[in-house]
Order: sequence, then C-alpha cells, then structure tokens
Amino acid sequence: MSQITLTGVGKSFGAVQVLRNIDLDIKDGEFAVFVGPSGCGKSTLLRLIAGLDTPTLGDIRIDNADVTRTPAADRGLAMVFQSYALYPHMSVKQNLAFGLENSRMPKAEIEERITEAARMLEIGPYLDRRPGQLSGGQRQRVAIGRAIVRNPVAFLLDEPLSNLDAELRVSMRAELAALHKRLKTTMIYVTHDQIEAMTLADRIVVLRDGRIEQVGAPLELYNKPANRFVAGFIGAPNMNFLPAKVEEPGGEGFFADVLGESRQAVRANAAAVRADQPITLGIRPQHLRLARENEDGVEVEVNLVEALGSETVVHTTAGNGDPVLAVLQGQRPFNAGDRITLGLDPENLHAFDETGLRLQGN
Amino acid sequence: MSAISDIGDKTGAALAASVKWAAGIIDPPLRWLQKKAGFNGMAAFFLAPNMLIFGIFILVPMVINFAYSMTGGGALFLPDRVFVGGDQYGRLLTCSDYSRPITCTEDQFWIAVRNTAIFVVVQVGLMIVLALTTALVLNKSLRARSFWRAVFFFPVLLSPVVVGLIWRWILQRQGLLNYILFQFGIEPTVWLTDRFWAFVAAVGVSIWAHMGFYALILLAGLQAIPKDLYEAAEMDGTRPARVFWRITLPLLGPNLLVVLVLALIRAVQIFDEVFVLTGGGPGTSTLFITQYIYEIGFASVLRNPGLAAAASILMGAVLVVLTLIQLGVGRRKDPKEAAK
Ligand SMILES: Nc1ncnc2c1ncn2[C@@H]1O[C@H](COP(=O)(O)OP(=O)(O)OP(=O)(O)O)[C@@H](O)[C@H]1O
Ligand SMILES: [Mg+2]
Repeated sequence: MSQITLTGVGKSFGAVQVLRNIDLDIKDGEFAVFVGPSGCGKSTLLRLIAGLDTPTLGDIRIDNADVTRTPAADRGLAMVFQSYALYPHMSVKQNLAFGLENSRMPKAEIEERITEAARMLEIGPYLDRRPGQLSGGQRQRVAIGRAIVRNPVAFLLDEPLSNLDAELRVSMRAELAALHKRLKTTMIYVTHDQIEAMTLADRIVVLRDGRIEQVGAPLELYNKPANRFVAGFIGAPNMNFLPAKVEEPGGEGFFADVLGESRQAVRANAAAVRADQPITLGIRPQHLRLARENEDGVEVEVNLVEALGSETVVHTTAGNGDPVLAVLQGQRPFNAGDRITLGLDPENLHAFDETGLRLQGN
Repeated sequence: MSAISDIGDKTGAALAASVKWAAGIIDPPLRWLQKKAGFNGMAAFFLAPNMLIFGIFILVPMVINFAYSMTGGGALFLPDRVFVGGDQYGRLLTCSDYSRPITCTEDQFWIAVRNTAIFVVVQVGLMIVLALTTALVLNKSLRARSFWRAVFFFPVLLSPVVVGLIWRWILQRQGLLNYILFQFGIEPTVWLTDRFWAFVAAVGVSIWAHMGFYALILLAGLQAIPKDLYEAAEMDGTRPARVFWRITLPLLGPNLLVVLVLALIRAVQIFDEVFVLTGGGPGTSTLFITQYIYEIGFASVLRNPGLAAAASILMGAVLVVLTLIQLGVGRRKDPKEAAK
C-alpha cells in the first residue's frame, strides 16, 4: 500500500525556481513515468519524493502521512540511480547487503532476501564479483536488486536505462515491465525517452520548465494532448504543426483556413472560437496521406525521401516554408522537388489556440 | 570586435613568420645531424642536455658519495683519502646493546636514528589524521571554501628556513607565545630548551608546514568520490560513522597510501626547519639523521666525510625502499575509477 501525493510542491535553488506548484497523486501500485526535455526538473522532483532534497513549498505525503521533512531513510523508498551508484569496492553481494545491515536485520534474513533477488534478476553467478567486473546490463540488474532487497513501498528510478545500448535498453524495458507486474509495487520512473514512457507507464506525467503540462495514460496523451507542447513531445516522429485561421464557427465545429490555400473541417467546440481567430492545426506524420483527386489538401514540396520498405518517410516543405513530415504507407516513387498534395482527415486533426491550449474538449 | 580580431590575426602572422625564420636557420644543421646520427641518434641528441644535468648533479655525486663512504681520515679530496673498505659502515652499526644508543660506537648516529624513528611515527601519524580531518571539513559545502583551502595550503609555499624562523620567533623564551600566555597570567615555559617541548615543537611545526599539501591531495580524492554513492547510502539510512568507515575511507584508500608514503619519505629527511628552530637541541633531543650527517661531514671540528657518506648511503637505502613502495602504490587501480 503506498500512495504518493504531492500538493503545491515548489523547489528553488537560490533565486532559480526549478519546480512550481506541482500537484500530483500517484496511486498504489501504479507505474508512473515523469517525462520531459532535459533540465525540466524531472530528477529534482524525484529527489524531492526520495527525500534527498526538501521542497521550498508544499508538502509530500506517502499513504497520507506527511513526509515532507522526513529523512530519506525513513520514507521506505528505494532509488535506482542513473549512474547505478554501486559501491565499487564491495562485491555484488555486499552491495545488496549494505542497506539491510543498517537496519540490523538478522543475517539469515539478509541472506534469504539476497538469494531471492539474485534469482529474480538472474545475477546469482556474479554475487562475488565487484561492480567493475560486470557489464553495463549486469550492473543495472544489481542496482535494481539493491532496491528490491529493501522491500520498499515504492521504487524511484532516475533514467535507469540511459547508460545501456539500444538493444539492451529494449530488453531491460521489458524486464522492468515484467518486474512491476510481479511485484505490484508503486514505481516512479524518470526518462526523457518518450518511447520508454509510452511502453512502461500506467500514467505519464509530462513536465516542462518545472511545471506539469499533462498527466494521463499513454494513449490519452497521444490522442488528446492538452496542449501544443505535449502534442509535439509525445509520439514519434513529432507532430506537424500548420498555422490556420478560424472560418465560420458553428454546429459540430468549424472550418479552418490552412495557409490560405486549403479549407479543412475541424471537430471542436465552436463556442470556444471566434471568426478569424489564428490557431494551429496539428497532425501526426502517420496520419497524413496523399490527397484524393479534387480533394482540398495542402500542397507541399518534397525535399527528401526515406524508403523503409513498408513505409516511406517524406520530408517536405509547406507553402509558408514550415517543414512537414509525412509517413506514408507502402513504397512511393517520389523525388526531391516533386510537388504533392497531402490530405487531412478531421478525426486526426488537433487544434490549438494562440496560447497553445487544445481547442477540442476532452 | 573586428579590429581586435584583425590585430590578433596580424600578431599571429608576425609570430608565425618569426618562428618560421628561426626554424629555417636551425633546420639545415639538424637535417645534416639526422643524416649523420640516424633517427635514434637524434633522440639521444635531444635527451643529452637533460641527461648531462642529471648526471652531473645526481648520478656522479651519488657514485662519489659511495666512494667516500669507503674511505677514512679527515682529508677533503677523494685522491688524498685512505681506502678503508666497509669500516665506516661497521663503525656506524656497532653497538654492544642495540636497545641503548649509549653503548654504540657512534652513539650520536643511533640517537639520531631513534629520534628520527619516533619523529616519523608521531609526525606522519598525526599529520595524516589532521590532513584527513581538514580535507573532510573542507569537502563539506563550507562557505568561503577556497579561502580556507588557501589558508591551509599557504605554509607549504614558505621556505623551510622561513618556517623555522617564524616559529622560533613565536616559541623562544621572550617570544609571542609566552607573551600571550603571560597576558593570561600563565607561567611562561621555555619551549625550545625543554627536551619534551622542543620535540613537540619540531613535530608541530613540521606538521604545520606540510599538512596543507597532503590535505589538498586528500581533498581532491574526496571530491573524486561520486556523490551518488553518498546519496545511495543516505537512502539506505546509513549512519555517518558507517559511511565514513565503509565508503569514504576505502575509496580514499589509494590517496591515503600515496600521502602516507610521501609523508614518510619527507619525514625521514627532516632537517632544515627543525635545524633553524632548535639546532637539534636541547642536547640531542631533536637531533635527526640528516643533521647528524651534516654535522659529521661538514660542521664538527673532527669532521669525518667518510662516516657521513656511509650514514647517508644507509639513509638513502631506506628512502629507496619507500620510493619503490610509492611507485608500486601509484600503479594500483583506483576503485573510484570503476564507479564512473
Ligand atoms: N543543486 C542545484 N543547484 C542549482 N540548480 C540546480 C540544482 N539541481 C538542479 N538544478 C537546476 O534545476 C533544473 C532541473 O534539473 P533536473 O536535474 O531536475 O533536470 P532533469 O529534468 O532531470 O534533466 P535531465 O533530463 O537532463 O536529467 C536544471 O535547470 C538545473 O540546472
Ligand atoms: Mg535528470
């Protein structure tokens, strides 16, 4: 049982405000992922929860008990560091035992927990080695093992896979997901890799400049990004954005004039917009297609074609000079310099107002 | 901006031109030399000046010193001296009871050896503890840390003679310390003419003069320990004492070993600041080996260069052993590297 609640949490280092007004509720057993660009405050937020730093404002509760000023050791949390932070002069076994010995746990129980964790993570054969004699992936497992043996109420992981090569990262990702399923313990996971976030998370917390931009399930964020930032951050390749202007609001939505050359229907709350309001339309590269004959689409010029076999990635420039990326199904024989017209489907269009907020309801 | 870069360009061009001009002059003879001497010959040519200096000032004196140690009499020039074989070593090492320097033929030598041994153990032990404590305090996020670092390092920059003079001025009978004590109504002590206090002063002053250097090495070692390790220990609820003994100390081990060996080497050689401070006295209470060698070889009325040379060869042997240990230590792998 462990629910972690943050209320109005802020953190400043001197005059620099790194986190502002963070309200967050992480449910028991949830796999929560903090994601955002470098320097947005993910690690800082995790360290506040861990107790390695204290917030300047607000409070942190674990299972309704205020732990804002509780020392890290008494919060019952375990942390996996990006650098692994294994004690280099101790064997793997000593690394796993070190934290348990602090609490004067009987030797037999320490032994038992280490054996269990070693079995679970398949690090049994390396117990007598030093961290320096292990591969990156093995060290990663030991770091996770050191957290597991403590039997924490929640795991905190700060970019634990970022030091691994791409292949290992994918397999460790799957193992982490399996581990979470098995332990059913709350996990908070920091990453700037949105694929990791999408694949692991029950809920994603998108951070930017020390603020929460949106909290939601992966597909919720993908399908209904609350603002332009989330829309651009979640999903790969990044969403395309085109400037547009509202025409004739009314009924189920409105028509938008895209780049002065195309008229597109947008499903949205028509009451929220006024005529001639400048807006931004977003569409994911995978949702673009070639326009049908006589369809009112957006004409673009092809710059570069990447033929991947099953799909074709087309880099283009729109009439206003903005880049537009399209991922088209199948193989397309385009050349640089070709002019093509792309079709937009209303159900795949995202509309954002001048401030970047989503215009379509939830 | 462009004017400045213009000046920069012009200066650069002028510099390059003059270097080119100089190179043009020395190039032909060097080419000729390389043709004559060959590729390896050129390496020898460039090494020669350094080897010459090393030879004249270190290698040759060492050999001559060894030759002196095999001769006797008071004559200063080697050709005038009598070959005596190992007699000087025999004289130095003869005692009827090795636990009592008085019973040795060269009782002064053995007193100096005993004093140096005690000095080395006490001075090095205390200094490392103090240097480590200083480094630990400086490693905390202390306000004005670089100021304090400079304060502790400053004495290292002083010449040993200056160190000796400063402290003699403080510790002498009518010195600063006694003056201050007197102000508080405390009976003055004659620090430098008391056997015990003079030795304490020798230890204390040499620690004061050298500690900053070792504290700096240890501080660098402490700063190389990844902060994550301490945070991991903090998450685990490790008590500060356990963090020190189980994490800080083992990871600082290689640095401590380097400091230990360097400090040992310097402590064995202790001379200048103590000589200026106490002159080896009172009596022989602060007489150390180097001073013994100096006095027997140059200063005493019955000077005996052969004996002094033999004593310095013996001391040199100890230093060689310590240096070899240091070289061995320097090659060992630092566990801190593995943590990165
Ligand atoms: N101890 C500190 N003192 C001052 N500023 C700090 C401190 N720690 C972090 N910051 C600042 O806080 C901001 C957020 O840092 P944080 O490490 O939380 O970013 P992050 O989201 O984890 O980035 P990354 O993805 O690069 O790890 C950064 O601008 C950083 O410079
Ligand atoms: Mg970070």
